[in-house]
Amino acid sequence: MAKQKAFYFDSSACTGCKVCQVACQDKNNLPASLLWRRVFHYGGGSWVQQGETMAPNNLFAYSVSTACQHCANPVCRDVCPTAAISKRADGIVVIDAEKCIGCRYCQWACPYGAPQFNEEAKVMTKCNFCYDLQDQGLNPACVDACVMRCLDFGDLEELRQKYGNLDAIEPLPTGEITEPALVITPHKHAQMSGQGTGRILNLPEEV
Amino acid sequence: MNVHDWALIAFSILVQMSVGAMWVLRVVHYFAARKYGVEAADRLSDRALLALVPVIALAFVASLFHLGDPFNAYRAVTNLGSSWLSREIFFGVVFAALVVVFAFLQWRKIGSFGLRNVIAWLAALVGLVLVYSMFNVYLLPSQPAWNSWATPISFFATTFLLGALAMGAAFVANYAYLQRKEPGCADTQCTLMREALRWIAVAAVLLLGVELVALPLYLATLAGGSAAGLASVQLMVGSYGWVLALRVVLVFVGAGVFAMFLYQNAMSAGQEKVLGNLAYAAFVIVLVAEVLGRALFYAVHVQIGI
Repeated sequence: MAKQKAFYFDSSACTGCKVCQVACQDKNNLPASLLWRRVFHYGGGSWVQQGETMAPNNLFAYSVSTACQHCANPVCRDVCPTAAISKRADGIVVIDAEKCIGCRYCQWACPYGAPQFNEEAKVMTKCNFCYDLQDQGLNPACVDACVMRCLDFGDLEELRQKYGNLDAIEPLPTGEITEPALVITPHKHAQMSGQGTGRILNLPEEV
Repeated sequence: MNVHDWALIAFSILVQMSVGAMWVLRVVHYFAARKYGVEAADRLSDRALLALVPVIALAFVASLFHLGDPFNAYRAVTNLGSSWLSREIFFGVVFAALVVVFAFLQWRKIGSFGLRNVIAWLAALVGLVLVYSMFNVYLLPSQPAWNSWATPISFFATTFLLGALAMGAAFVANYAYLQRKEPGCADTQCTLMREALRWIAVAAVLLLGVELVALPLYLATLAGGSAAGLASVQLMVGSYGWVLALRVVLVFVGAGVFAMFLYQNAMSAGQEKVLGNLAYAAFVIVLVAEVLGRALFYAVHVQIGI
């Protein structure tokens, strides 16, 4: 099997501080409207009245940090009319801005919201796994920034052997559409994708 | 709704209308020529055919407004191997080229009848492949509201419904023009126009039936599927409910009520004026209905995931 670079995310340790998101924007010099890495807060449950007080009823919340999954089956690449999206030998999915005409079709196809339109450059952009840093033997900016050490990266097969095969928890979609190169350690309250009872707690403008 | 969505609405509606119109012209011309000769059939359909050229041109201009970088639009045909969007653009260009070439040859009567006939049928066939590519663009697993049997059905219904009613209006306009130019000489043309309008009315009612049966089945299957599908249905019957209602009412009035009147008035000669107004009204009303339907299509797709 060909090499496939992958992200590892430990939801059980993530505090949702968003420093990964900020480090990504800083390193890639992104405008405020572009979030190649995003942190979702997902939660549910309710409050019930018990006498004079409100008591929590199965309340839960956890955070999920997500970017482009550099999928084994990158639907964005397949649907792109200009063949601007390609997969490198190491599995990293990249957009060639020279070829992109900004039709945004990849945005419709990707269930991770990874390809995002740059209003200034008029082309699609997305997480490139900091391949420029990786090519120099350095870590992606988000991985180095995480204060909880819950982001890591490496070869997909090796990460799976170390952490298991889980590639989706709510609010991420199930992995079957694109086969994401992602390995997750779930939060103790994490809900499986497609069976969630909670909702995304972020403000719409936040993600 | 923003300018990008309106570009897609205009492009897809105009292109589908042109494909449908091409088929209606082919079928009408075939039967008209068999009954009254090629020359009479040409007089019925040549101007309608020429009218398609600016419509198709407008569609392609509109499509450019969807792009971030319209000057590199030519690159959109460079991934024919895997992208349905590439194929859509490719077959769109081939269809447009064939229609323009055919319209020009037919207008100037250049080349033999046989040659022109072959080009015209080729254009119609490529048109079908074009609509086939168009609906495949939307069959994305991440988009439950689009990834449905209803997308091909509704695209083809729009194609033939708008094509038929547009050509109905074109035949009426053509007849009015002929009457002004050479009054009294248009008896055969009057008969031809009335017969064509009757069949157009029948087609409109049948396609209305298809749309009205498909809609509730589509909503039911979508609501019973994924959470994103249910969210789309809630948008369609909730905040966009008035658009859906208006769309259904208008298509019923245009392709149902007006088409019935059209059929009746086309039975006997002498009502050309009423017939004309009915044909124009039916076309305009259904055009508005289909534009609303397509606007809804782009407004309510709730994506799976984040």
